[in-house]
Amino acid sequence: MPPTRLQSIGDIMHIMEGFLPSPWWEIWFFVSLPFIVIGLYQLNKLVQEKREALPLLAVAGAFVFVLSSLKLPSFNGSCSHPTGTGLGGVLFGPCIAAVLGLIVLIFQAVFLAHGGITTLGANVFSMGIAGPAVAYFIYKAGTRAGANTYATVFCAAALADLFTYVVTSVQLALAFPGTAGFLGAFSAFAAIFAVTQVPLAIIEGAVIMLVFKYIVQLKPEILTRLNLLSESTVTKLREAAA
Amino acid sequence: MYEVLEDFAQTNGLRETNPGLKLFIGLASILLCVSSPGPVAPLLVAATMSAAILALAKIPARFYARLLLVPVSFSVMSIAVVLFITAGGAVLLEVPALPLAVTADGANLALLLLTRVFGGMCSLYFIALTTPMTEIFDILRRLRVPAAFIDLSLLTYRFIFILIEEAGQIYRSQVMRLGYGRFRESVQSFGMLAGVLFIRTWESGEALMLAMDARCYDGRLGIPADSRPVSIPALATALLYLSAVFGVSLSTGGPVLV
Repeated sequence: MPPTRLQSIGDIMHIMEGFLPSPWWEIWFFVSLPFIVIGLYQLNKLVQEKREALPLLAVAGAFVFVLSSLKLPSFNGSCSHPTGTGLGGVLFGPCIAAVLGLIVLIFQAVFLAHGGITTLGANVFSMGIAGPAVAYFIYKAGTRAGANTYATVFCAAALADLFTYVVTSVQLALAFPGTAGFLGAFSAFAAIFAVTQVPLAIIEGAVIMLVFKYIVQLKPEILTRLNLLSESTVTKLREAAA
Repeated sequence: MYEVLEDFAQTNGLRETNPGLKLFIGLASILLCVSSPGPVAPLLVAATMSAAILALAKIPARFYARLLLVPVSFSVMSIAVVLFITAGGAVLLEVPALPLAVTADGANLALLLLTRVFGGMCSLYFIALTTPMTEIFDILRRLRVPAAFIDLSLLTYRFIFILIEEAGQIYRSQVMRLGYGRFRESVQSFGMLAGVLFIRTWESGEALMLAMDARCYDGRLGIPADSRPVSIPALATALLYLSAVFGVSLSTGGPVLV
């Protein structure tokens, strides 16, 4: 994982440039477009209200990029990357996370040839919209139900990752149903990706949970300022850790 | 690696060419690859783009060859699935003891996809290795992409390099302390790395905010850009090249295998 060797590792969550035939890549652009437009609108409003939001969003975007280019430890020797997008969804909500995801994916395509330009729409939908939305709603539901914070974060990150991979399988199966039909193709793609993605989702859940724990211990203001945790929950969590 | 790609983008042989033209050639080639019905046109794009990268932009061949290995490792699994689930035509190969067979149609589709991905990757690298990111931002601004989006991208871009450096330092010090010895420790260490990185990131974001305010930030970042006019011969060559690829793509439709 030294940064000099980051590139030598493949990952399958991104659909590569040229892989999706017409009309599918256009369709996914249209599907993603409304989320991006709403996200840009929210972003504009946020930046006008709170000028300090822009640098913080930028560092969060850079964090997602760097996290997703690091290699995760894995059970089976395969190389996997965290998507990191679940965290963005929890922190900023699904629409702004979609804009961050778009930026990160453009950089990944143009810097690293991870993903691509024509497949950008499909990748933004799976990694920037579907995953963060799942993370956001699980986190909201979990905190409202008063579930254990760390367990909620684990579920949000792990399920966001799993859902991203299911959506990618759906996208590929729709474009390449083969002779097996959509369902047959979907199970084929899903089964092959499951080998790396299911362990990856569990590890990513654990890692994001640890990230959350460090934030609570070292700089809980971040979470309280974004209205993610109340002061009382933070105090309770810190007492439990001590 | 990121620094290296960006270094080449700043110093390559095509540095002085109009960035809009380079972006246009790269994007048009990608579109031609994706829409080509047969594998010949994408292969032609891959060959010409590689030639442009090596001969015109003067990127070292060994470095470029290493870059090209990345898409290979990417695409193998998805293409294997397509290869096996598409039936039709003569059976070329059967996997013993499993209900899996490679047929002519499947092989043709897989070949087409492989060449499309390859052609697309070469075009992407053409953009990445010849055009610095800041010039792409300038083009986006002229295309009237919302300012908040461009500012956010610029700042994100700036921070990626800082964070990569920082992540590398933390990682190396963890390795020296045997942080990645066993699986359990690896997950612990990686979580610690990500957590500390996030907090440091956030703090540098707050520091940046103060620094920008101190320098009278008014909600807009300026992008320095010098405009270089498109040279007519360059534009004519580009259009000639693209129409040639388009012609090849039209005349070589359909599968070639079997």
